[in-house]
Amino acid sequence: MKKLLVLGLALVLVISAFALVGCGSKAEEPPATDAASSNEALDPAVQAIKDAGVLKVGVKQDVPGFGLLNPETGEFEGLEIDMAHQLAEKIIGDASKVEFTPVTAETRGTLLDNGQIDMVIATFTIKPERLEQWNFSDPYYQDSVGLLVETKNGYTGLADLDGKTIGVAQGATSKDAVQTEADNLGIKVKFTEFQTYPEISTALKAGKVDAFSVDRSILAGYVDAEREILPDSFSPQDYGIATKKSNTGLADYVNQFVNEIKGNGELDTLLANYNLK
Amino acid sequence: MGSSFTQWVENLGLMFSEAKWSSLFQHFDLVWKGLGYTIVAALAGLVLALVLGIVFGVLSASRNRVAQAVARIYVEFFQNTPLMLQVVFLGFGLPIIWPQFNVVPVLMVGIIGVGIYHGAYISEAVRAGIQSISKGQLEASLSQGMSYVQAMRYVVIPQALTVVLPPLTNQAVNLIKNTSVLLYIGAAELMYVSKSIQATYYNPGPVYLVAMGLYFCLCFPLAFLARKLEERAEASAGSGQA
Repeated sequence: MKKLLVLGLALVLVISAFALVGCGSKAEEPPATDAASSNEALDPAVQAIKDAGVLKVGVKQDVPGFGLLNPETGEFEGLEIDMAHQLAEKIIGDASKVEFTPVTAETRGTLLDNGQIDMVIATFTIKPERLEQWNFSDPYYQDSVGLLVETKNGYTGLADLDGKTIGVAQGATSKDAVQTEADNLGIKVKFTEFQTYPEISTALKAGKVDAFSVDRSILAGYVDAEREILPDSFSPQDYGIATKKSNTGLADYVNQFVNEIKGNGELDTLLANYNLK
Repeated sequence: MGSSFTQWVENLGLMFSEAKWSSLFQHFDLVWKGLGYTIVAALAGLVLALVLGIVFGVLSASRNRVAQAVARIYVEFFQNTPLMLQVVFLGFGLPIIWPQFNVVPVLMVGIIGVGIYHGAYISEAVRAGIQSISKGQLEASLSQGMSYVQAMRYVVIPQALTVVLPPLTNQAVNLIKNTSVLLYIGAAELMYVSKSIQATYYNPGPVYLVAMGLYFCLCFPLAFLARKLEERAEASAGSGQA
C-alpha cells in the first residue's frame, strides 16, 4: 500500500515536470499584433512570427548539402538552410532573422509539438503516419534509401548482406525500407539503431554494423576513400517542410512558398548550388 | 497568462493523447523485451561488479603496497571518468583498435562496462568495511595460524558485511539506472526501446512515463532494502557497544 502511494506520487511529479517544460517553452509567446504594421492580411500564425521578428527553424546539423553546421565557420549551410533564410526574408523582410535549432530524426516532432520551433526543414520524409501528426508542405526534394559499406568487405548489394547487421538512425524510415526489400529478396537482416548519424558511421568503421542505411543524400556525406554507397536504392521518398498540426495557417503559407520556388526556378538554382540531384 | 495556460493544456493533451497511449500498448512486447535486457545486464553487471569490488577492496585494505597501488589506480580511474565515455570506448574504440573485439556481443560489452565502473565504487565500500573491523581481530586470527586469506574469509569479511551491505545496495540501484547509458552503443535495453518506440510512433509522453515507472519498480524495492539494512546495521552496532 505504502509502495503504491509512493509510486502514485512519483507519477504526479513526472507529469508536473512535463507541465513545467510546456510552460517554459510558451513563455516567450509573441505579444499581441499591432495592426498598423501590416497592410496585407497575413495569417495570424505568420503575423505572429513576423511580430516576433525571428523565424525558428529545426534543421539538420550533420547532413552535408542539406543542413550542416560547418565546424570551421560555426555557421549552418545547405539547401534547407537557404530555404529557411528565404522564408525569413519573405515573412520578416530580413533573411538573417532565423534561429536554427539542430534536430535529429527523433527530436524534431516533439520540438514542433512543444512550439519550440515554428517549422522543421530537416530531410523530413513525408509519410502517411506522419501526416496524421504534422502538416507537410509539398515535396521539395525526392530521395531514396541507400546502403553505405566498407569497400574491403566486398559487398555488392543488399543480397550480400544476408544475416548481417545494418545500422540505422532511431526514428528514421530506412529500417522499414530495407526490411521490405530484404523480405522481397528472401534474406534476413538485423538492425541496430543509433542516436545520430556520426555514431552509425563510427559503428560501421568499428565493424559493429556491416552497413549504414539512411537516405542516399545523407549517406553521401559519410563516404570516404575506404567506403562506397551500394547501387541499391529503395523506396523513393519525398522531403517536405513540417509544421505543427494545429497551425494550418503557417502550413498553407509554407506550402505556397515551396510551390513558388519550384515554379520560378529558385529551387533548381539552390539544388545546383549544392550539387544535389 | 490565460493563453499560455490553454497552450499548456493543449500541449499536454497532444503529448498524452489516446492515440499515443494506444500506439504504445500495441508495441508493449518491445518494452518487455527491453526490460528483460535491462534486468539481465543489471544482474550480470552486478555479479561482475561484486567480484571486482571484493577483489580490489581486499587488495586496497591489504598491507601490500603494490596491491594497494593497483587497487588505487583501478578505483581512481573508473570513478573519475564518465561511465558514458568508458562504455563508448569499449563499444566503439576497442573494436577499431582491435577488430577481434567485435566478436564480443553488445550485451557483454555493456555488462563489462557497468560492471567495471560499479566495481570501483563497491571496492571502496568493501575497503571501508574491512577497515571498520579492528586490526586486533586480524592479528588474533593470524596468531592462531590462519593464513591472511583464511582470516579474511572466516573472520573479517563476515563481520564487515553488515557495514558493507547498505552502500552495496545503493550501488545496485545506481547500476540498474546506469544500464540506460548502454543505448549509446546500440544495446536494446529499456531506454533504447523507449527511444526507439517514441521515435517511430511519436509518443514520447506515454513511453517515457512508463519507462520511468518500470525503472522505479526495479530500483525502489532495492532502495527500500538498503534503508532497512542500514537501520539494522545501526541497531546492531548500537547493541554491540552497549
